[in-house]
Amino acid sequence: MIDKKTGLWIYNKMNEIRDFEETAWTLFTENKLRGSVHLYTGEEAVAASVCAQLTDEDLIASTHRGHGHCIAKGAELDRALAELMGKATGYCKGRSGSMHIADFTKGNLGANAIVGGGIPIATGGALALKMQNKPNVAVAFFGDGASNQGTFHESINMAAVWKLPCIYVVENNQFGMTVPVWQSTSVEDISVRGAAYGIPGETVDGNDVVAVYEAFARAKERALKGEGPSIIECKTYRWRGHWTGDPEVYRTREEVEDWKQNKDPIKRFRDYLTKHKLATKKELDEIDAAAAEKMAKAVEFAMNSPEPDPAHVLDDVFYEG
Amino acid sequence: MANMTYAQAVRKVIQEEMRRDDKVFVMGEDVEKLGGVFGTTRDLYKEFGTDRIRNTPISESAIVGAAVGAASAGMRPVAELMYWDFAFVAADQIFNQMCKTRYVFGGNAKLPIVLRSQQGTGRGNAATHSQSLETIFMHIPGVKVACPSTPAEAAGLLRTAIRDDNPVCFFEHKALYITKGEVPDDPEFMIPFGKADIKREGSDVTIVTNLLYVSRALEAAEELAKEGISAEVIDPRTLVPFDYDTVTESVKKTGRLVVVHEAHQNCGWGAQVIAEVSKRAFRYLDAAPIHLGAKPCPLPFNPGLEAAVIPSVKEIVDACKATMYR
Amino acid sequence: MASIVIMPKQGLMMTEGTITAWLKKEGEEIAAGTPLFEMETDKLTITMDAEVSGTLLKIIHPAGDVVPITQPIAIVGTPGEDISALLGGVAPVPAAEAPAPAAEVPAPAAAPAPAAAPTELPASASLVIMPKQGLMMTEGTIINWLVKEGEQVSAGKPLFEMETDKLTITMDAEVSGTMLKIIHPEGDVVPITEPIAIVGEAGTDVSGFAGGAAPAAAPAAPVPAAAPAAAPAAPVAVPARDPNAKIWASPRARLHAEENGVDLAYVPATGPDDYIIDRDVMGYIANKPAVTPLAANIAKTQGIDLSGVTGTGANGKITTADLPGTAPAAVAASSATPAADTAPAAEAPAGQLTRGTHTEKMSGMRKAISKNMLASKSTNAQTNHRMVVDMTAAIALRKQYKDLGIKISYNDIIVRACAKALQDMPIVNASVDGSNIVYHDYVNVGTAVSVPGGLIVPVIKDADIIGLSGIAAKSAELIEKARDGKLTDADYHGGTFTVSSLGMFDLDDFVAIINPPESAILAVGKIAKTPVVVTNDEGEDEIVIKSMCALCLSYDHRIIDGAEAAKFLQKVKSYLQNPVLLI
Repeated sequence: MIDKKTGLWIYNKMNEIRDFEETAWTLFTENKLRGSVHLYTGEEAVAASVCAQLTDEDLIASTHRGHGHCIAKGAELDRALAELMGKATGYCKGRSGSMHIADFTKGNLGANAIVGGGIPIATGGALALKMQNKPNVAVAFFGDGASNQGTFHESINMAAVWKLPCIYVVENNQFGMTVPVWQSTSVEDISVRGAAYGIPGETVDGNDVVAVYEAFARAKERALKGEGPSIIECKTYRWRGHWTGDPEVYRTREEVEDWKQNKDPIKRFRDYLTKHKLATKKELDEIDAAAAEKMAKAVEFAMNSPEPDPAHVLDDVFYEG
Repeated sequence: MANMTYAQAVRKVIQEEMRRDDKVFVMGEDVEKLGGVFGTTRDLYKEFGTDRIRNTPISESAIVGAAVGAASAGMRPVAELMYWDFAFVAADQIFNQMCKTRYVFGGNAKLPIVLRSQQGTGRGNAATHSQSLETIFMHIPGVKVACPSTPAEAAGLLRTAIRDDNPVCFFEHKALYITKGEVPDDPEFMIPFGKADIKREGSDVTIVTNLLYVSRALEAAEELAKEGISAEVIDPRTLVPFDYDTVTESVKKTGRLVVVHEAHQNCGWGAQVIAEVSKRAFRYLDAAPIHLGAKPCPLPFNPGLEAAVIPSVKEIVDACKATMYR
Repeated sequence: MASIVIMPKQGLMMTEGTITAWLKKEGEEIAAGTPLFEMETDKLTITMDAEVSGTLLKIIHPAGDVVPITQPIAIVGTPGEDISALLGGVAPVPAAEAPAPAAEVPAPAAAPAPAAAPTELPASASLVIMPKQGLMMTEGTIINWLVKEGEQVSAGKPLFEMETDKLTITMDAEVSGTMLKIIHPEGDVVPITEPIAIVGEAGTDVSGFAGGAAPAAAPAAPVPAAAPAAAPAAPVAVPARDPNAKIWASPRARLHAEENGVDLAYVPATGPDDYIIDRDVMGYIANKPAVTPLAANIAKTQGIDLSGVTGTGANGKITTADLPGTAPAAVAASSATPAADTAPAAEAPAGQLTRGTHTEKMSGMRKAISKNMLASKSTNAQTNHRMVVDMTAAIALRKQYKDLGIKISYNDIIVRACAKALQDMPIVNASVDGSNIVYHDYVNVGTAVSVPGGLIVPVIKDADIIGLSGIAAKSAELIEKARDGKLTDADYHGGTFTVSSLGMFDLDDFVAIINPPESAILAVGKIAKTPVVVTNDEGEDEIVIKSMCALCLSYDHRIIDGAEAAKFLQKVKSYLQNPVLLI
């Protein structure tokens, strides 16, 4: 069960992520952001519920839609936004932008602009944890599209054989870019693919914090006991297009509105918290306000941050220490 | 000093480094009981166990990706790909992940990875098991490239590679594994990257080459000596970083440059060397540099056909003479 | 008529030969085309045939002697002939009939190799051939015969006019006699070395001479000494190729040529398609005689191949005295030099009075100035600043020195001021070398001196150290040497900055061109009394008369920024207006 502290933590993170994504959207439309920006709005419950159960010593590998994972894994909004704006103060010194953002110090092995690219990396992270006998897990976040990449199958097979503490979290947001899941994927529930590798697979409502939280808790426990990896498929929906500028010809406005009005994970979790007396409306309003204020400061920080110095553009290709 | 084969030198260093640092481990196809196709990890599992001498599924992407993840999380993987040709199966993990991770994450990641494999002709392995691919790894920034041509270099460069905190692609040559040579006993023996070795001194023409072609270039130099031509043979030993200084100084002395490699001639690393050295030593050149490499076709199986595709000793001799207008 | 046999040049690198054996003794008859002597060069042993028939009158150099090329080694003539004039004369001047066995023109064009001469020309007659004038000349057009058949021909007097693709030349006669036959009339286009006329004793029957191919005719032909290039005594320019054409050479060959002062035009190529490669240059250098820098310089500007020059300096070094045009022997032989140096006036354009143009070859100095000035304009980013300076105090200083009996010119004071300012601002004293800036620890200031035919810039070395009186003394010495033409190489090299004063020509101010590799030059105008507005002690503006002088600094903006150049001028101004700082 989710306790009050965890509940408020998750609620806060979801709010921060939502504010961050919607701010990024606005900045993009105002031409203050450039490049590929893939927004996580609507999927916040997955990252927040999973990362609520991780420490800085646990590892994650993220995706091109990675802001949510990055923030949930402990990144600050200001430096994250600065990175999206390519500023010197960004987590990656302005070199990564949206698609490769990561705060390495928080156990984030990186967002990954190649679909499925992060899955073997998280697997390798799990291998390191196991070889170092650490009481930690690695999480591979990826989308429904990535489950059709070779890396998905290679990695899960490898992790299953080696019984690695790795949890494969599929964020099934219904579309691989514009292609609906039914058109690209042989199974309705991606979690059933676990059976092919002899590991558990579970499909949950990805917009339900509690469902995600509990499924992940089970998978984590199994991993820490040395029983190997699991697949958790979180069915969710992205509110925004695949990218900023997506004409969204593949879905209807009504469908999007339905998810926003009736399945908003933040609204649902807010109701859950108040219903179970884990938080008062006032407490939650204060969290909302704090998140909004933090975001406003982040914008100010990022906007006022210096551009990176091209004199250092060749730095860090190699470690020189 | 001990006399050993190139393969034994590789094994010796892996063993010593695994003893020295328990973060070092080997993963790859058939590395455990078989000890790799060429015996470079033979019996090491007996000493280090199957966790650290780890057989993998035949999943090149997962092997390289796991190496990236493990290195990011504090381990020092020595991952083996069996044949460098198989790197293409794992191309995304190598070029988009391993090569770029440190840079795109703002220099926060450290990836002490050695990606080892062997390549080249000589064993009738045909088109997809005989290529020489080091140039491609020189082209994409973010990985160091080492190419030992002797047992001692295999030892000295591999130790440097394992202790390097960056990804290193380590190119062994299948035809060199059985060659023997003196290898220092010193478990600290290292050869720095970016330091070329002058295999033979000469004054008339500079031959730059690597791997198997070092011995062929030396053979050519012998032939040339009979005709009164003194060839200097330089092995860069690492392509990234590349020791342009040594080659430039040599060319300033000789005025003539021939670069020969088993890798395909078209866009092969020799072209880069010629471009850079021509820039640095243009005024010292007495003739257009000549670039020899494998001809533009896949490597055929038949030994006669295979030999026809890669440069011959005679071609090296003729190229050197051509730079001397002879 | 006796002829001299000379040590023939065989091969481009040959400077001397050793006579190994005389095949004929004095007094013996020799026949043209039969072996006369054997000799050895650094490369080969060769038997030389006689060029003329006659009696071997005198062997000047016996077997074993080492003889520089073109030096006389024997005399051939008629028994009893008086050869004292030849023996007593300036050694290397062969008479007109002297064989010149291809020595001067080893290039393939020099087809007339010393070969048998099956000529029917009587001994008392000689051929005039179409002379080669200029390297690329293959044929000439006879414009005008100045002596008609039967008329008297005088050696050294104009004989005919001809035209090549480049110029029109009047050729002088080589021998005296009667014009027996004009083989090619005016208007004929004749390949070089072909006979064009026969000169000899009046009444000689030349009807048997049919003309014939050039090589056959050549041996008996008078060497066309009218062509300065063929003057046998003068070691001549023998480029391996047309120096005006593009020279193809490897970068390394060029580098080594440049480092060793080798003109690639003289280097024979062994690479494909006349491509000069390193071994050609290194071989050339290995065989090249030692030479003083000045002689090398003069040789370069005048196109003289030093491989043909015998050095008389220390250890056989070639000095200026050995160069053709300065050696007495060469002077004696260059009788027809003017013909080549000054082309006759071209015809005036139609409808104009009979005035046209005339073309003169540039002197060596003019060529050097031309080259340097063009190089300056094409390599430097030249621009300039101008500043007017009050010279009143400098004038007073000069007077004070004068009162002490020390003669100081304004130029000296300006040189001193510049030297001080250059010390203050090393960048103005620097040079560009490729992508490097070379800073000079010393300050050497050149002063432009106008001399007849051009301009020379002797350099006052260490101008920052030797003080004002030192500058004055050195300057006076250099100017005198310059005007007397006695400047040595060292006197006008090594400058780091130049001062050019043209005030004496009444110039208010002017812009000078930088003298590379220097990076700046100061042009100094006249000192003129000028009304100037000054503020007096009471703080009121008033007009006073001052001696003002305009300075214009041309500088290389590649390394000297505008502000730095301005600062430099300010410093010069400050020193000139406070000359106590200069003492």
